[in-house]
Amino acid sequence: MSTLKHKGKGPQALTAHGLRAGPVVYLTKDYVWSTFYADALITEDKAIIEKMGDAGDRDDEANLIVGPYFIDVDPETGLPARYREKFRMNGPSFDPGVPTHIDHNKHTGAVIIGGDK
Amino acid sequence: MYRYDEFDHQFVRARTAQFRSQVDRRLNGTITEDQFKPLRLMNGLYLQLHAYMLRVAVPYGTLSSKQMRQLGMIADKYDRGYGHFTTRQNIQFNWPELTDVADILDDLADVEMHAIQTSGNCIRNVTSDPWSGSTADEIEDPRPTCEILRQWSSLHPEFTFLPRKFKIAVNGATEDRAAIRAHDIGLQIVKNDDGEIGYHVLVGGGLGRTPIMAQSLNEFVSKAELLPYLEACMRVYNRYGRRDNKYKARIKILVQEEGIDKFRSEVEKEYANLTPADIAVDQEEIARITAYFSPPEYEDLSDVDTDYQRALEKDAAFKSWNDNNVATHKVAGYAIANISLKPIDGAPGDITGEQMRAVADMADVFSFGEIRATHEQNLVLANVKKSDLFALYLRLKDAKLADDNIGLISDIICCPGMDYCALATARSIPIAQQIYERFADPVRQKAIGEMKIKISGCINACGHHHVGHIGILGLEKSGVENYQVKLGGDATETAAVGAVTGKGFGAEELIDAIERMVDFYLTQKQGEERFLDTYRRIGMDPFKEVLYGAA
Ligand code: HEM
Ligand code: SF4
Repeated sequence: MSTLKHKGKGPQALTAHGLRAGPVVYLTKDYVWSTFYADALITEDKAIIEKMGDAGDRDDEANLIVGPYFIDVDPETGLPARYREKFRMNGPSFDPGVPTHIDHNKHTGAVIIGGDK
Repeated sequence: MYRYDEFDHQFVRARTAQFRSQVDRRLNGTITEDQFKPLRLMNGLYLQLHAYMLRVAVPYGTLSSKQMRQLGMIADKYDRGYGHFTTRQNIQFNWPELTDVADILDDLADVEMHAIQTSGNCIRNVTSDPWSGSTADEIEDPRPTCEILRQWSSLHPEFTFLPRKFKIAVNGATEDRAAIRAHDIGLQIVKNDDGEIGYHVLVGGGLGRTPIMAQSLNEFVSKAELLPYLEACMRVYNRYGRRDNKYKARIKILVQEEGIDKFRSEVEKEYANLTPADIAVDQEEIARITAYFSPPEYEDLSDVDTDYQRALEKDAAFKSWNDNNVATHKVAGYAIANISLKPIDGAPGDITGEQMRAVADMADVFSFGEIRATHEQNLVLANVKKSDLFALYLRLKDAKLADDNIGLISDIICCPGMDYCALATARSIPIAQQIYERFADPVRQKAIGEMKIKISGCINACGHHHVGHIGILGLEKSGVENYQVKLGGDATETAAVGAVTGKGFGAEELIDAIERMVDFYLTQKQGEERFLDTYRRIGMDPFKEVLYGAA
């Protein structure tokens, strides 16, 4: 059984950081990790949530990701419920650096961690 | 400035090699995140909201041009083209990849820098007055003391697992530009009646969720006694400091709970039991270290430079920059040039790699190759000839570093907040930017005069909001950002913790609320009063009325 318990309400997504480069990632319906929130697997189904938790543990142990945890998703908008998670999804509101992950998602598609990639 | 000796070099290299192997073991799964986390933190590497973050120590805020150039290289090569100067005179990189960190540390070691003790429950980077050695109001240059403390506290075997982190600041001038009363231990260099130079030791200051200003522990500790005396303080803290509750573990809580007199007597007891000679540095070593900070070779100049005067008359923007950003130097014909890292379209303390290189070049040409970082998140060239100020200003303008707002309302201290920090409860950078936009008019800024706005994104108070003339604390209230306002804080020799005005403000209301208070101050201001002075004279109530209407 997964060690990752979700304490929240309603639909859940699973997030973490990529271990090597550190980006915010979300577990996808293919059970790999994407830097693009739009790819996130969002569900209320207990059995699927259990499977997601197992995937989090597995990829944590496989040194692909670090610190997986479930987040609440607003059923209306499909976006993260807590604003902290909105910022993680969107990146810094002010960012002087070269283009962000979010821009990268838009231009070239998400970086995928796990699976065959 | 101080140069590493053979031991320092070997040590930093060995530490980097050790970290490289720790990263390798983490990546191949030999060690888990739980095992790795304390190791990476000991090397300044955090996992933040969006990415890893590497905090690099800048001992007492002093950088050579070579080091600054290297930081610029690191920003460009491994990060996303910029770095962020913090309120502890350090620099943070917000986007390094774990796989690059050992290389970054090696590149830092090449220029005698590291990230050791920038995290964890140890004695952190010693901070100081950024005008050290150059300011006219100095009793003694604090940098040799800082360096002695750095060497004493680096990897001190007894003090690597303190109850909590420990911050020391040293000030050598009459004006306190190092916020020593907000530190676990603050050292004020003083001269006693016999003309001997020593230290007034203050203890138990700190911000965070329980802000307390340091109290006087000992009004005069001689130079020879300093390290043994501090060692006695640290031992008392290490023994009695609370380890049961993270939020009560700082020395300020111990001093508050036991009382300063009890704490002092414990320190004295401890001091009586140790052998000072085993701990104190000998005169020879003090002389060796002090020599690194001997004054640069100033030229014999007249204090009046006609070209400089003419430039001031001809170029109003230069004059404005000069009036706000340039401070008096102790040597005739020289000046202290403060470089603002608070542009209207940036985040406080941020600087690009290109700008770092530009500043390094300016330091080489105009200021003996040395740069200082300030706790107010700006930079300083501490030894510029007045006759060079105009040329410096033109270069700053080219580098987009010529903001003329030092000490004004737009010179805001601001922590990274929710935009970067994993602990944050609200954003702080956009608030700083909105305040700047609202008060962008330079005439208005000057009419307001000296104003210290300080913003933190959570109660940890990295943005020093407790000691801002106006302090702003970002909180989360029912899922939205809400900002608590404090008034009357002060980080200088007249230190005070600000008082909360009342209920907080949403992000939209906040800027209006600040504007109302500032406009009100301008109607109440007498003579040369600053906002802080007016507040002290008339008290909180009138400001409350302005904020919340009549009670
Ligand atoms: C923090 C922000 C960014 C990160 C961390 C990032 C990361 C990456 C990574 C890891 C790759 C390699 C992908 C792979 O191996 O398949 C990549 C490729 C690429 N990125 Fe980004 N990227 C960022 C922003 C951007 C932006 C904003 C753009 C465009 C406007 C962009 C354009 C590209 C392109 C064109 C490639 C493909 C390059 C090639 O295959 O030769 N990236 N990026
Ligand atoms: S005050 Fe809070 S939000 Fe700001 S940097 Fe410190 S911990 Fe992060």
